[in-house]
Amino acid sequence: MFPEPRAHVRPTWTRREFVRDALCGFGGLAFSELASRAAAASAPANPLAPKAPHLSAKARSVIFLFMAGGPSHLETFDPKPLLNTLHGQPRPKAFGEAKYQFIKGSAKLLGTRREFRRHGQCGMEVSDLFPHVAHWTDRLALLRSCHGDMVVHSAAQYELFSGRIVPGYPSMGSWLAYGLGSESDSLPAYVVMPDPKGALEAGQPMYGHGFLPAVYQPTMFRPGAKPVLNLSLPEGVTAAQRKRTLDFIRQANLRRMTPEDEDFHARLNAYDLAFKMQTESPSLFDFGCESQETLDLYGVGREPTHDYGRRCLLARKLVEKGVRFVCVVAGGGPGNMQWDAHQDIEENHLRKAAETDRPVAALLADLERRGLLESTLVVWGGEFGRSPEAESGKGRDHHNLGFSMWMAGGGIRGGEIVGATDEIGLHAVRDRVHFRDIHATILHQLGVDSDRLTYPHLGRDERLTFVEGRVIRQIV
Amino acid sequence: MGTFPIVSVLSAAELPSRPLSSTSPWSFRPVQRPSLPSIKRPAWARTPIDVFVLIALERAGLDPSPPAKRRDWLRRLCFDLTGLPPSESEIVAFLEDQAPDAEERWIDRLLARQTYGERMAQHWLDVVRFAESEGFEYDRHLPGAWRYRDYVVESFNRDKSYRDFLHEQIAGDELQPPTEEGRTAAIFHRLGPVRRNAGNPEIALSRNEVLTERTDIVGAAFLGLTVGCARCHDHKLDPISQKDYYRLQAYMAASQEDDVVLAPAEEKLKWEKESSPLQAQLKSLRQRAEEAEGEERIKLRKEIEAVERRLPLLPASMPSIKNDPASRTSIHVLVRGEWERKGEAVSPGPLAALANSQPAWTGEDDRRPRTALARWLLEPGHPLTARVVVNRLWQWHFGKGLVGTPNDFGSHGASPSHPELLDWLADELVRHDWRLKPLQRMILLSASYRQESGVKPTARALALDPENRLLWRFERRRLSAEEIRDSMLAVSGVLHPSVGGPSVMAPVDSDLVALLYKPSQWEPDVKPERLFRRSVYLMAKRNLRLPFMEAFDQPSLLTSCGRRESSTHAPQALELLNGSLSNELARRFSKRLDQESGGHPRRWVERGFFLACGRLPDEEELRMGERFLAEQPGSELALALFNLNEFLYVP
Repeated sequence: MFPEPRAHVRPTWTRREFVRDALCGFGGLAFSELASRAAAASAPANPLAPKAPHLSAKARSVIFLFMAGGPSHLETFDPKPLLNTLHGQPRPKAFGEAKYQFIKGSAKLLGTRREFRRHGQCGMEVSDLFPHVAHWTDRLALLRSCHGDMVVHSAAQYELFSGRIVPGYPSMGSWLAYGLGSESDSLPAYVVMPDPKGALEAGQPMYGHGFLPAVYQPTMFRPGAKPVLNLSLPEGVTAAQRKRTLDFIRQANLRRMTPEDEDFHARLNAYDLAFKMQTESPSLFDFGCESQETLDLYGVGREPTHDYGRRCLLARKLVEKGVRFVCVVAGGGPGNMQWDAHQDIEENHLRKAAETDRPVAALLADLERRGLLESTLVVWGGEFGRSPEAESGKGRDHHNLGFSMWMAGGGIRGGEIVGATDEIGLHAVRDRVHFRDIHATILHQLGVDSDRLTYPHLGRDERLTFVEGRVIRQIV
Repeated sequence: MGTFPIVSVLSAAELPSRPLSSTSPWSFRPVQRPSLPSIKRPAWARTPIDVFVLIALERAGLDPSPPAKRRDWLRRLCFDLTGLPPSESEIVAFLEDQAPDAEERWIDRLLARQTYGERMAQHWLDVVRFAESEGFEYDRHLPGAWRYRDYVVESFNRDKSYRDFLHEQIAGDELQPPTEEGRTAAIFHRLGPVRRNAGNPEIALSRNEVLTERTDIVGAAFLGLTVGCARCHDHKLDPISQKDYYRLQAYMAASQEDDVVLAPAEEKLKWEKESSPLQAQLKSLRQRAEEAEGEERIKLRKEIEAVERRLPLLPASMPSIKNDPASRTSIHVLVRGEWERKGEAVSPGPLAALANSQPAWTGEDDRRPRTALARWLLEPGHPLTARVVVNRLWQWHFGKGLVGTPNDFGSHGASPSHPELLDWLADELVRHDWRLKPLQRMILLSASYRQESGVKPTARALALDPENRLLWRFERRRLSAEEIRDSMLAVSGVLHPSVGGPSVMAPVDSDLVALLYKPSQWEPDVKPERLFRRSVYLMAKRNLRLPFMEAFDQPSLLTSCGRRESSTHAPQALELLNGSLSNELARRFSKRLDQESGGHPRRWVERGFFLACGRLPDEEELRMGERFLAEQPGSELALALFNLNEFLYVP
């Protein structure tokens, strides 16, 4: 078991107890074994203290660029000339079956209007939707054979984040916060920046800590003037006043606790961290210290890139300060504000790509020049891809059987292409990559053995990767 | 004080013998009522429970801790039984009550309170993952689901036999003659998350998901088994086979949603009359939308929404279930748990490792399949049902069960720390007609429960039992999220005592509501008499959890929670220091103290400490408080009191 669940302050039930109970119960307690645990009884007072990884870690942080709604692989990273040839025809039977959320069997194939070109030394083909990201092909590991189990948003989003198609399981960010703690002493370990345009189908539980202790929950950076909940003082209370109140609390608590009281020391630490978060995080949201060149790089201050650029820049600042997992969501609210292009793939994807292409490339460039790209694993993708068949004439339906994602930095081998879909992009046919394989690979790059990162829940030692999940060896 | 009469050796209950396979865990063996062991210090024991606790301590060479101060005991008792701190007058009255039976009378008094059921209900609501919305993308609300919460509160308060409590939840809709209480209890089956989606629905898959939820929760809540492990394949060391799992699921095969209208007949008729043309219109629109594509479909969807908005408000109803034999799902063993890969067909039946034989399935069982399930669970000698519930009861008072894994008595679960005590309690429960209060009374009166929590562990205790499983002291605990909120309301003097009824939607930051897929679902209450109700009456919505509750480890409402976590982290401090709830209540607490102290700072500080911590401040605290008040607003001192360990922890 790694890490010890003792790490959070009052564990409900530790693996240690479990092992002892399962092996012998109380009656069989071996005194020597018990004695050896005396030392372990002094738990670290901060459950988010950084923890040593299982393996040698290549990356320290993860930035997940979540393309919500499901971007089309056919318009972006997976060129299919045959699809254009077969445009307007029914799908040839030879390609097999697919189930969609909306479109029926009578649907006709839809060719793409995007043009693909080879980029970089590796010659990876990328469409003209992403001219900026295309500069980075030699650093990208492109996964063209991704697949998931669900074709509807909510369940697919749960699977993308937690490996399960139902809510209630911890997201990858929570798992990493639990497994590795935080490198920052004034910021949360796990941050989610939702799209200000609105919510997603799977809602809050998608990002959540599930059955892990609440300390591993995400901190949501919300749009608006107060990005972090409860970080600013209540109205009418001055900082000087509040300092006095904090002093009173500390003094009164200290007088009534013993020096060896771990729980209460953990509370003191929590108040210290809360205070630091209040004083230090405002500077995080202040872009005054960023050069104009940097702001321009991300497209901050002009449309359509301002919002996503701002949040990508914030993501860089967060990993710079040691935040473990940052999720930057592109897409929210009504389907067409996401990548969910049921009506018109051209209109939707041209718009979404224009909002995100420059910021994403800027993030890679900025991380690289600051020497952070090697230690930061950047992951790009959505909960599924889109159907080769047309929906509503020029749109595409959801499609979970074969689609593309990519990874960069964090020790990932660039210029690689993993797997392939068939000739019309329907099924992933070679070196298939499941969400769980992506999870295993992310954990691996951060030095975590996915089999050993477990937490007991309802009688099972749960894992992010369930009993599956293989590291994608080709790219690590 | 005195000792209880030592009962002589009791024979083991007569139980049908059944072959135990090597894979069966300890918990599958019949409950054996043990005789009370002899102990070296009989004077310490106040109840039979203490004999079992003390013998385990003696065997390990450990000593129990001295009894807690009476003041601390009262505070512990009040929180455990009602989730609220003792009031000022209660503290005074109890400390003055020196009669030998004082403790017993105070236990009885608290057991008889309305607030007792409200506190106990929360424990059970965690276990059944009670929520009033379905989760997933639509997070549809379940109008009337609160009636189940009231049913649970009421059941605890009436000290309903656990036998009936179990039976009503599993098969309340099958009762003959039908009762409203039974149908309310059967809401139990509607409490799981339900995925609904637009477009081409996989009806069989959705049905499979629903039945899986309904099966797994019966396993976790009543059997204390994670039966779901067997859904995909047999496990080598697991006594529950895959076939067992589907046999259990088969009891639910005919169960279908039944939204029972509770309004009077004329109201129902009126509603039907007004809504039926709209319903017909909706039906045809939905059908057309299903077949349409593109712009046409979008247009139709908009029309559907418009018509839905014109539907008259539903008359009072509740989301129960009923059997519909005509639409019974045929249950098969599913290869790898995949709904499309049907194996052998199975009929309902108990878990093989727990049954002597598969009883014959009768026509009557066909009409009332879940009654048969309840009958099996309550069969005399069933090794799990009573053990599982007494273990929960123990955990609700000691913080940790005798079995540390309350939802898992299977091969992967923990072994009991005190196996004899567990069996003794299980047997005692049955002897008391499955009523919980007599057992609780015994637990609360015990010397084990009375021990001090603040004692410094001896080196031996630390070496042998650092997790205090043997109970060499009482284990201090942090208040639950609900208890913290309710305590702040109580000491501020604004807690509204109204009982039951529809849940309260508290105002939350609009940014958070915006994270809902349908923000219009959240219609916050504004009246103080609603907002200041106890936390058990707060709306439990799966996709919008109150940040305050979430920070203090309220479970996710998505899976069964047998025992809450208790973590400590910075967002808790931020909630208590900067959150709108704590600041608003600190202002009210301060106002109360202003009024009651008549402008005397010293009295202000004294009463503030007494209300928040149940004790007067010492001289230094008085000085600190007065000095603070001289320069700072009272609301800041009130807020500081909410942040004290003593306010947030039960001694």
